[in-house]
Amino acid sequence: MSTATTEPTTRAAARPVMSPLRQTLRLTRTEFTLFMRYKTAWMFLGLAVFMFLVPLNMPGDPVVGDITTADLALIAALGSVGLIIGIGHPSNVFTARRESLVLKQMRVSGVPRSALFGSITLMVVLMSLAISVLGVVMLAVVSGALPKDPVMLLLSVLLSAVSMSFLGLLITPLARTAESAQMTAMVPMMFLLFTGGNIIPTGMFPDRVVNMLGYLPTAAAGRLAQASYTGYDVFSGYESATPAGILELWVAALPTIGILLAWSALFLVLTVRYFRWDPRQP
Amino acid sequence: MTTTHTELPSDRPTADEPAVVVRDLRRHYGDFEAVKGISFDIRPGELFALLGTNGAGKTTTIETLEGFWRPTSGTVRVFGTDPYDQPPALRGRTGAVLQGNGLMEDLTVRESITLTHDLTAEPRDVDEILDLVDLGDKAGIAIRQLSGGQKRRLILAQSLIARPEVLYLDEPTTGMDPEARHTTWRIISELKSRGVAVLLTTHYLEEAERLADRLAIMHRGEIRVEGTLAGVLATWGDRIGFLMPEEIGTDDLPAFPDSTVGVRTRDGRLWATYTVTGADVAERGHRVVAALVAWAAERGVVLRHLQVRGASLEDVFLQVAGATDLAAD
Repeated sequence: MSTATTEPTTRAAARPVMSPLRQTLRLTRTEFTLFMRYKTAWMFLGLAVFMFLVPLNMPGDPVVGDITTADLALIAALGSVGLIIGIGHPSNVFTARRESLVLKQMRVSGVPRSALFGSITLMVVLMSLAISVLGVVMLAVVSGALPKDPVMLLLSVLLSAVSMSFLGLLITPLARTAESAQMTAMVPMMFLLFTGGNIIPTGMFPDRVVNMLGYLPTAAAGRLAQASYTGYDVFSGYESATPAGILELWVAALPTIGILLAWSALFLVLTVRYFRWDPRQP
Repeated sequence: MTTTHTELPSDRPTADEPAVVVRDLRRHYGDFEAVKGISFDIRPGELFALLGTNGAGKTTTIETLEGFWRPTSGTVRVFGTDPYDQPPALRGRTGAVLQGNGLMEDLTVRESITLTHDLTAEPRDVDEILDLVDLGDKAGIAIRQLSGGQKRRLILAQSLIARPEVLYLDEPTTGMDPEARHTTWRIISELKSRGVAVLLTTHYLEEAERLADRLAIMHRGEIRVEGTLAGVLATWGDRIGFLMPEEIGTDDLPAFPDSTVGVRTRDGRLWATYTVTGADVAERGHRVVAALVAWAAERGVVLRHLQVRGASLEDVFLQVAGATDLAAD
């Protein structure tokens, strides 16, 4: 029977808990370690690098000032880095971890969802930034151009990586295994990739379609990257693009930044709503 | 496994009020009712074993206490707090060994334990905890290379890092060799002695017999039997068996108060079994054996292979679960 004593209890004696931020940073370290050990993660990394090679064979017709179609596609690819790693990696590893009960064990160990989601997102952001640096070096070598507004470029990579990470997490409830997660992830990945403007020139579509595609996260991130890199206000189309000052460019970029923030918020809300910790279907 | 006694959580307030309270818990999955109105308490320093066949509702009950499910109706409280969604007030105060391992198999043993350590506000020492479960010499090995039993020990170690006051153990010794199982039992016993409230589910009835202060047997979402081991077994009665004398027909067997008799065929022969219940737990077996022997002497027959035994937990379990259910399980 019970070995309880008569000493009064402290029902609300909550323990000191580690802040979610510290847990996020600690988990990111482990995410990095695991990323380096996952073959599939390397595949997504390779695919992201490959995105920079695709535009090299595009015709070099000037579009905005001296900037060619190939340059613009290469710059837009910076906005697709987060797409490849963000959708591919979190959907794969979180589905695998859910099936092997790692997520449940983490949760019962006192790790909040904010730390779990935050660490994988931070990992995607770091990898996207690293690949983006590589992309900028390639651009500098190919066209001799450097970004006119590095902060805005940084923001485009960041917002792309964050929104796509949340989309990747949102895919996990749809898949039962890591393999099926990889397959499922290909659908939004390919759709967003082909509508992002750096593989298929979106100018071939009707204007109405092009306008609609501009609201998609990859197209918006690509446009933001192109504006930051060229210093041109390309948000209303390349034909009417004009050189803009820093402040002017940021003002023009606000709607696009808003689009990316809105997608991020939407994907996060849906992820929190539909995320499953348990392999068992309720 | 090592038999070194390492420090376990201590110096924390114990209480005469339950750490875990479950009241009329019901949990539906769509139209299926997995748990049908169960209630129990677990006090600090007490181990409550929840037994049952697969699908009885044990894991759903544990997962509700762990905060993964909201009860369809009824209440669950851990230290007076609703555990749903793992509120901060309970973080670090509860620990769990899930039915599966929940380990990141690409990490090494030390990396995994260190991660849990670093995510905890007041953790125990990594080497201390590795020694406790005898995985110190496996620290540099990838988790995927561990045996099933070693993985269970690692997950147990991780659950102890935060010095939990309530511990949920869902089949913790599955896959362990006998030595590791005994060491795990010792660890659990020490946790109890230091005031940790433990909820244990297991398919090893011996484990429940050794560790449980109280136990319940669930079947189809309901608690069918609950109490102390001694209390449960006493209720279930003593068994007196013997080989049926050839001269005696089954209708000739005598009847006694507070007892029932059954005859079964085993190895081509008939065996009689009296199940003796009654309040006089200490003497009821003697009373019926004496009457049987007297009856046999009067009839001039010998009760061969006469044996008396108390009910085992297995008897109770099988009776509750039902042979049909077990066969279908």
